[in-house]
Amino acid sequence: MTALRVEALEAGYEPGLPIVRGASLSVEPNEIVAVLGPNGAGKSTLIKAIAGLVPISAGRVLLHDREITGRAAHRLPHEGLGFVPQTENVFVNLSIDDNLDLAASILKVPKKRRLGDLYALFPDLARQRRLLAGRLSGGQRQMLAVARALVGEPKVLMLDEPSAGLSPKLVGIVFEKLVEVRATGVTIVLVEQNVKAALAIADRAAVLVEGSTRVVGTARELANDPQVAALYLGHHRGDT
Amino acid sequence: MLQLIADGFVIGSVIALGAIGVTLVYSILRFANFAHGELLTWGAYLAWTALLGFAAVWGPMEPLGPFSFGWTLLASLGVAAIATAALALLVDLLLFRQLRRHGSAITLIMASFGAALVLRNLLQFIFGAVPEYYSREIQVAIRLVPRDVLGGLRVTPDQLFVLGLTAVSVVGLHLFLTRTTLGKAMRATSINPQLARVTGIDVDRVIRATWIIGAVLAAVAGVFSGLTVQLRPQLGLDLLLPLFAAAILGGIGSVYGAVAGGLIVGLAESLSVPIVGAEYRAATAFIVLIAILLIRPTGLFGERT
Repeated sequence: MTALRVEALEAGYEPGLPIVRGASLSVEPNEIVAVLGPNGAGKSTLIKAIAGLVPISAGRVLLHDREITGRAAHRLPHEGLGFVPQTENVFVNLSIDDNLDLAASILKVPKKRRLGDLYALFPDLARQRRLLAGRLSGGQRQMLAVARALVGEPKVLMLDEPSAGLSPKLVGIVFEKLVEVRATGVTIVLVEQNVKAALAIADRAAVLVEGSTRVVGTARELANDPQVAALYLGHHRGDT
Repeated sequence: MLQLIADGFVIGSVIALGAIGVTLVYSILRFANFAHGELLTWGAYLAWTALLGFAAVWGPMEPLGPFSFGWTLLASLGVAAIATAALALLVDLLLFRQLRRHGSAITLIMASFGAALVLRNLLQFIFGAVPEYYSREIQVAIRLVPRDVLGGLRVTPDQLFVLGLTAVSVVGLHLFLTRTTLGKAMRATSINPQLARVTGIDVDRVIRATWIIGAVLAAVAGVFSGLTVQLRPQLGLDLLLPLFAAAILGGIGSVYGAVAGGLIVGLAESLSVPIVGAEYRAATAFIVLIAILLIRPTGLFGERT
């Protein structure tokens, strides 16, 4: 049983103008899979289409072998798919506690136990739980965004560029946290521009070019393949 | 002086209840709904229709204790609240929902002007332009403060009813928004609709709840206006600018701001009467609005994002 399978997906914001054109991806349970590719390759559109935020015109998406293609975005967290958007990924006018409490109310999970688990996983957040999310630093905000997406105990967690806007040190801290999250039994799919950081924690990676998956391999294979790097990944922040 | 303050609170209650709907629709649906005033008018007239219906079945309305109205007006208020909510949902289904998918905020605003015209003219066509009253009973005002203390204070039982039910409505709404999952979902959607979706919130359900709450409060405000003044097809149009002044003054998007804004606008209008006369009292609300926005551009309870 695959955790998440995407088959020949076509998706885009305008009818007849697909940005994702025949992308396929297979993610095994408890894997970390990175979706890489040059700017404009359609990585974010792909992950948003899976999350129900971009219309799908062809292909299928299966979550633990159950078809979820084109399902409304608000249904997916109830069905075990968590999503962390790239920007504006926390409710800035609510406190850390209220951000998590809201998600727990919506997803009908036992608040005390689940928030306790999450605060144990994210002790930095626990220390300032009454602070407004809008006042958090970039790294802490990203941690809260991940914690919020984990409230419903998703089987698969998808992240859209979790390193965006963070210093290299903070990227390291956030990505280490993702490894800890995986250790709790969560499958992770992350779209990343920061190839080096993503490949450092990923088991496997897929390279997306012009909306379709061109290369899929283990992180080690892709990291050591100079042709792949030159052809598809280009110059990236993580290598500087 | 005390009398003017009390009158201001009564006017302010009507404005506050109406302004809550304006601010809720703005914060969740992201547009200024200029048709909101018409929901007040429709609420008032639907209650009047229900009252006539009840009178046809049970005979003329018997006043309840010291009030000018009987229990049938309270039942009519309930009927009007439900019918006004249905009307708001119908307008959303036929008009705003279609435009939300493809149109911009300005398209929605212009459409709301169109909806207001249609609703007002339809109402005038059905009910006529002659003013109506829920009750022609004459009420004896209760003297609460003797005349030699700050000019004294007399209020009618109906005015006390308006103030009391406004307080109950605002407290009820506060509890709904802070204690219930749907209330919290409304707050989250107003902050960030896309994030609300991926958190598991059904935004369409939130939108329906927004229309229902806004329309129910509009119906209550319309009935209050009909009860304390009279029923006219222009009732909502005349209140539209004060509603927006209250919502903006309080900080557009803030429910508590709308309540505070409504009361301030009501007080400003009432207190200005001895100075500028009744004809110009509406202008004073805008002078207060401009003064507050100069000091605090986001309004009293507005949050900087």
